[in-house]
Amino acid sequence: MKDIFITPFVDMFAAPDFLLQVLWEGLVSGILYALIALGFVLIFRSSRIFNFAQGIMVVFAALTLVGFHAMGVPAWTSVALTLGVMLALAVSIERVVLRPLVGQPDIILFMATIGITLFLIGFGEIIFGGENKVMITEELGIPTDSWVLEPWGGLLILEQKDVTAVIAAAMLVVGLLAFLNYTRMGRAIRALGDDSQAALSVGISLQTIWVLVWFIAGIIALVTGIAWGARAGVSFALEVIAYKALPVLMLGGLESITGAIIGGLMIGMLEKLFEIYWGQPLLGGNTETWFAFMLALVVLLFRPQGLFGEKIIERV
Amino acid sequence: MKHFTTLAAAAVIACSGVAAAAESLYVPNLSYRTGPFASTGIPLMNGQRDYMEMLNARDGGIGGVKIDFEECETGYSTEKGVECYEKTKGEAIVTQPWSTGITLQVLPKTNVDEIPILAPGYGFSPMADGKTFQWAFNAPSGYWDGADMIVQYLESQGSLEGKKIAFLHLDHPYGKEPLPILEALAEQKGFELLPIPVGLKEMQNQSAQWLQIRRERPDNVVMWGWGAMNAGAITEAVKTKYPMENFIGVWWSGQDADLRLVGEDGAGYKSISWSFPDNDAPVMAAIKEHVVDTGKSLSNESEMGGVFYQRGIVMSMVLAEGIRTAQEEYGTPMINASQLRWGLENLDITEERLAELGMTGMVAPFSTSCADHTGHSGGWMLQWNGSSFEKVSDHLSPDVASYADLAASKASEYAEANAPWAVNESCDSAS
Repeated sequence: MKDIFITPFVDMFAAPDFLLQVLWEGLVSGILYALIALGFVLIFRSSRIFNFAQGIMVVFAALTLVGFHAMGVPAWTSVALTLGVMLALAVSIERVVLRPLVGQPDIILFMATIGITLFLIGFGEIIFGGENKVMITEELGIPTDSWVLEPWGGLLILEQKDVTAVIAAAMLVVGLLAFLNYTRMGRAIRALGDDSQAALSVGISLQTIWVLVWFIAGIIALVTGIAWGARAGVSFALEVIAYKALPVLMLGGLESITGAIIGGLMIGMLEKLFEIYWGQPLLGGNTETWFAFMLALVVLLFRPQGLFGEKIIERV
Repeated sequence: MKHFTTLAAAAVIACSGVAAAAESLYVPNLSYRTGPFASTGIPLMNGQRDYMEMLNARDGGIGGVKIDFEECETGYSTEKGVECYEKTKGEAIVTQPWSTGITLQVLPKTNVDEIPILAPGYGFSPMADGKTFQWAFNAPSGYWDGADMIVQYLESQGSLEGKKIAFLHLDHPYGKEPLPILEALAEQKGFELLPIPVGLKEMQNQSAQWLQIRRERPDNVVMWGWGAMNAGAITEAVKTKYPMENFIGVWWSGQDADLRLVGEDGAGYKSISWSFPDNDAPVMAAIKEHVVDTGKSLSNESEMGGVFYQRGIVMSMVLAEGIRTAQEEYGTPMINASQLRWGLENLDITEERLAELGMTGMVAPFSTSCADHTGHSGGWMLQWNGSSFEKVSDHLSPDVASYADLAASKASEYAEANAPWAVNESCDSAS
């Protein structure tokens, strides 16, 4: 019992610099989980589609960016061209996959996104190959040095690219919230999520909104791909990180942007704290593979709609 | 588009292979060019494939019979690997499972189906015991050889008594494979072993594992990584400022492309290896002439100069030599699986033979026998100098005798657990 309730806290107090490092690493992971979850939430809110393809969109966007640059295109032009590709992808998905399935049960649309995932994996591997590629971090002007701080005489290493990722993610979230709350198109997205029939009756175009949300999900995928790719390269292995967004969605609720952000940060930091202070000393480590799901399950026991999801009341 | 073109070329070549299958030896490769492990799989598969293509183009195959080297894509998934085995076993004279997880799954099947498994440098280490595993081969070196050579190398730098060695490994049968020998060596040499598993979903986000390394301050980190895990670990090591010269990987964690991600910052990182690339080797010139220049290769110049591509060449050489040995013994070019088993069991890769093959220095000489299905070629410690790997040790040989009892006991445990298990009573004893 001492090892569970006393030793971890003594360790935290004894090495506060290390605790700060753990929290920082958790924050960086968490914000990237939150970004992936945001892509899921946006599409679910506006179309009730659980987009299984969000993970592969991260890989596809990052590979496209690196691919353009490898062809000699300047870095920021590559970003613009990649955004163009993500827009084309959004239009194609709406025209070819989603439009013919309007009115079909949710599970059919979900299955369609699995199809999109498989297509993007195969198409991506044909075009880009399966090799690990170097993200064009420096070419994009992202600093790659690190700040070495010595709080309480200890050591705290802050990678500048991680700091950049956190700032970029925060700006993206703020921009997204502003777009959803203060623009006509943003309000249309929210209206479609609140009551699709009512939204359609006042002239909101389902097709336009679907293209828009898939494009925004593509932008989020690109930012996430750059941030993750800067850490350990760009490869199809990035796709598996998307599965870490699932407990974030369970925790935060499928429809809540706030939930995705807070859920991502909570899971990122709590799984890191648990792994370092309880998992590694007591359970042999590698608890990050299941901790987030356990946490989400516990939350679901008490709040089936997630921490920030809307409580559904059905009258009979 | 280059990839599209090369894949289209591969499809055409594969189709032509089917047409020629009747007059060829079918040697399927359970490859993975897709998925999270593709980055490490592709150069190896390309090297394997190009060597066989070269033999077909230059010599008309082996013993005058073309080699039908077909790939079955597994994505490193054990389930798909077993499907590929079942799909290909009908005409195959060998199976190359390409994952320790798949090897463990097909191992009992091959003992019944009587098809040799060829797993060069991977798989279940006690497969060295040819008496128990009469259909399995992991020449020229097994994982226990690798672990022993790494510990030997570390000991040559100073006593290991009281030291702490972290064992960073993929949480997968492959990653856990050397644990028994490392635990035994820790007890024998007096060092503390700290196993640190990395889950498949954490391969590119190893901050927790490297925070543990920072907290525990191990004297050395030994890595059994694969696929995206290698790049993830090396970038985290650079980030946490772990001394790279104290960081050693197994041969599957020594790929040029993973180190290029960190470039100069990775200088000092080491990897034990049973193969060494030599761009000036005659075999490379032959591959260039007969495969690359004729547009049959799926590789590229940068990849071809790397450790993994050229290791793939050595792997196919082991199979080709097994086929040639069997053809000579049985006096027929169209050998069957059982005859190839004999060939793989009687490999004799001498310096002279390596010179004839144009592969001097690319692998150390080794030989197999009825009792020894590994050969234990040993290898070299390679070090990343910021742009490529270079040798930093003389030839290292594993102390096989020191873990022969452990290998025999694990082999015997396996046979008992999978009883009834047919053994080769004609072998004298385990290696």
